[in-house]
Amino acid sequence: MTAVLQLESITKSYGGVRALDSLSLEVAPGEVLGVIGPNGAGKSTLIGVIGGALTPNSGTVTFDGRDISKLSSADRARLGIGRTYQIPRPFTRMTVADNVRLAATNSGHHISQRELEPFVAGILERLGLTPFAEEVAGKLPLLRRKRLELARALALKPRVLLLDEIGAGLVRAETEELIAIIQSLRTEVESMVLIEHVMDVISQCCDRTAVLDFGKMVTIDETPKVLADPVVASLYLGSVAESADTVVVDEEKRAGIRASLTSLVSVATSVPGTPLLTVDDIWVRYGGLNALKGVSLSVNAGECIALLGANGAGKTTMARSLAGAVPLTSGTISFAGKSIAGLRPDEVTALGIAQCMEGRKIFGTLSIEENLIAGGLDARKHVKAERLEAVYSIFPILKQRRKNSGTALSGGQQQMLAIGRALMSAPTLLVFDEISLGLSPIAVDEVYEALGAIRDSGVAMIVVEQSVDRALGLADRAMVLGQGEITLEGKPAELLADARLLSSYLG
Amino acid sequence: MKNGISILLSRIATPTRVGPRDFIIVAVLAAVAFAVPYFAGTYQQEVGFRILQLGALAAAWNIAAGYTGLVSLGSAAFFGIGVYTMAIASNAGLPIALCVVLAALVAGLFALIVSPALFRLRGLYFTVGTLALAEAMRIFVVNSPWFGGQAGIYLTARAPKAYDLYWIALLIAVFVVVCVLLLLRSRWSYRMQAVRDDEDVASQLGVRTYRTKLWAFGLSGALIAIVGSIQALNQGIVQPNGGFGMSWTIDIVSVAIIGGMGTKVGPWVGAVFIVLLGEFLIQFPEIHLAVVGVVLVLVIRFMPNGIWGTLTLALQKNRNFS
Repeated sequence: MTAVLQLESITKSYGGVRALDSLSLEVAPGEVLGVIGPNGAGKSTLIGVIGGALTPNSGTVTFDGRDISKLSSADRARLGIGRTYQIPRPFTRMTVADNVRLAATNSGHHISQRELEPFVAGILERLGLTPFAEEVAGKLPLLRRKRLELARALALKPRVLLLDEIGAGLVRAETEELIAIIQSLRTEVESMVLIEHVMDVISQCCDRTAVLDFGKMVTIDETPKVLADPVVASLYLGSVAESADTVVVDEEKRAGIRASLTSLVSVATSVPGTPLLTVDDIWVRYGGLNALKGVSLSVNAGECIALLGANGAGKTTMARSLAGAVPLTSGTISFAGKSIAGLRPDEVTALGIAQCMEGRKIFGTLSIEENLIAGGLDARKHVKAERLEAVYSIFPILKQRRKNSGTALSGGQQQMLAIGRALMSAPTLLVFDEISLGLSPIAVDEVYEALGAIRDSGVAMIVVEQSVDRALGLADRAMVLGQGEITLEGKPAELLADARLLSSYLG
Repeated sequence: MKNGISILLSRIATPTRVGPRDFIIVAVLAAVAFAVPYFAGTYQQEVGFRILQLGALAAAWNIAAGYTGLVSLGSAAFFGIGVYTMAIASNAGLPIALCVVLAALVAGLFALIVSPALFRLRGLYFTVGTLALAEAMRIFVVNSPWFGGQAGIYLTARAPKAYDLYWIALLIAVFVVVCVLLLLRSRWSYRMQAVRDDEDVASQLGVRTYRTKLWAFGLSGALIAIVGSIQALNQGIVQPNGGFGMSWTIDIVSVAIIGGMGTKVGPWVGAVFIVLLGEFLIQFPEIHLAVVGVVLVLVIRFMPNGIWGTLTLALQKNRNFS
């Protein structure tokens, strides 16, 4: 039996980061293959490479015995490869029915004008979209957008269907509906590839499951075996055995870093009874989706908080709302006694909250030094120079390459640059969003060593992380977000012992 | 500033479906417009010509910009191609009707030649690229030895009467409208809108995006060139600064935006508005442009769907409430 879809040693890099590292994979006819792995493991890149949206640096993609590596995504769609997007991308100004008509009339199958309408109506009916057929797709709420993604992909009459996290951001009942739809597709679609964080979908739909990490295949086997594999659990939670205290610490280096940090952070004098940051019942709504549903938390001066949770739990929204980058729907945030809700991001930074954003957000057109200076533009010239030296003494690699472009660094070095840039404003509170994302284990070690030193300097920190063991090794207190609400809260040791922590990741 | 063009495009309303009713309305309006020269004077015919000309240009531009998202500031290049093709071909003794067809073909060919370079650019960069292209064409015509330089080319053909011009313009306007309606009825309409909304996703759903863009851009350019070829007849002399002048581009864009981008009727509403405003302010040429500019700014700020888009949206709301 030959494979429908075959990937041979595919490598895809973005700048210094290898999203896929000579990955090989086969999908057999009639098979539903699950793909799981932590954030940044290369799952979405994999779908992009199969669908033709991304061109790999090397390797071949074979479909039905034919090398399709050179074909455009339109031609691959016409051959029968349909895909959906993790974040639904409907044609927002076309009606729902027109979205489906477009796919139906551009597939590899000819469809006459007479057949078109019943075909489109059938697909809309099947996905429960009939009542919204004439609505503009941009007005649909998330679940219906996800269904529309599926409807469009089905209208191509695909032989292979690639589904990118269709379960993300849905509540349990909605997920169950989707599982039912996926299972009903097995008879008409030859094979499917499912990328998922929602383990219910994987365990109920997939024959085999592949586990990716850092663009490499960790394991691929029958789904129950993979889900029972301790290696998989440790990928999500990290192995507790190599926690921070077993790492050999260079005391001299630590002392140097500590000295440098004194000029980089403002240690808030703790006022007994009043926390440094108070977040009270905040709600954030995007379009039809509630990203945060009444989150309250507080951070005391000098405290380090870990904010954990699976993809789509609302962690980044939380970080961004602290930065003033997303408008609050309701609720209040106060920092050092002042309300900061409604302030612009620059005003929030001026008050002393610095952000180390998800995805690093390095300015590619600026040099490393200019990137750092951009983090502390308000400071006086000699203060700026002093802080710059302090950052350089913490991260000597940045000094060596200070004239190079900010993006001409490896992932880990870029993350150091992002941390350095956040420190340049001498903040009182630092927010780190997913700083281990897409980094190799060694780079994560280095970054977390710096974070430990920053914590010891007495500045308050919020560490938003998917990598649970790292964040818990650092934090004084931790909370877990699930679907926009805080579901668990406590001391790191208590949380690690709590079985509900694992279930909030693996479902 | 977020990309201004994407903001402008994001406000385009979804077009309503085209049915037989639309064709009937066009036929009735065309019949009424046909009768105008029988009871109106030369002045009214000239105003009518100007409305039909600008309306047809804006409707043609709208195919690329409003429906496909290819916001071009290179209309003057296509218009100029039409103007010069008419001058050269009619002076060579070809019949006028053939010259018009030739103008459309040359413009289509031009779109085909420049598309590999232009379609590498997206959004604002595409827009700036087309602007540069139109200017390059003007400078090329000024400096090359074949097109009479700055002085231009005189047409040997006899200048048509005002009513003849009006009827020719009406015929072409009806042709443009029918082209737009047929296009909106066809499967190209989905492809064009899909490319406008999200080119990458369109491609992932089997749309050959390059072909779609070329089709829209080429058709739009060919129709603009047809209108340009009539302008050559109207003027009797063609010159680079007239034929390839930026003012055509700016007029087209203002008419389409004020009337309503991405709507069937908007360009015509805009043309009536702009031409009548110009006639009203004819005594005050110095403030005319300033007034048009202010109107354009106000429309973009307060009526992002243009006059027609805003009207239809308001009517739809009422319908929902009743």
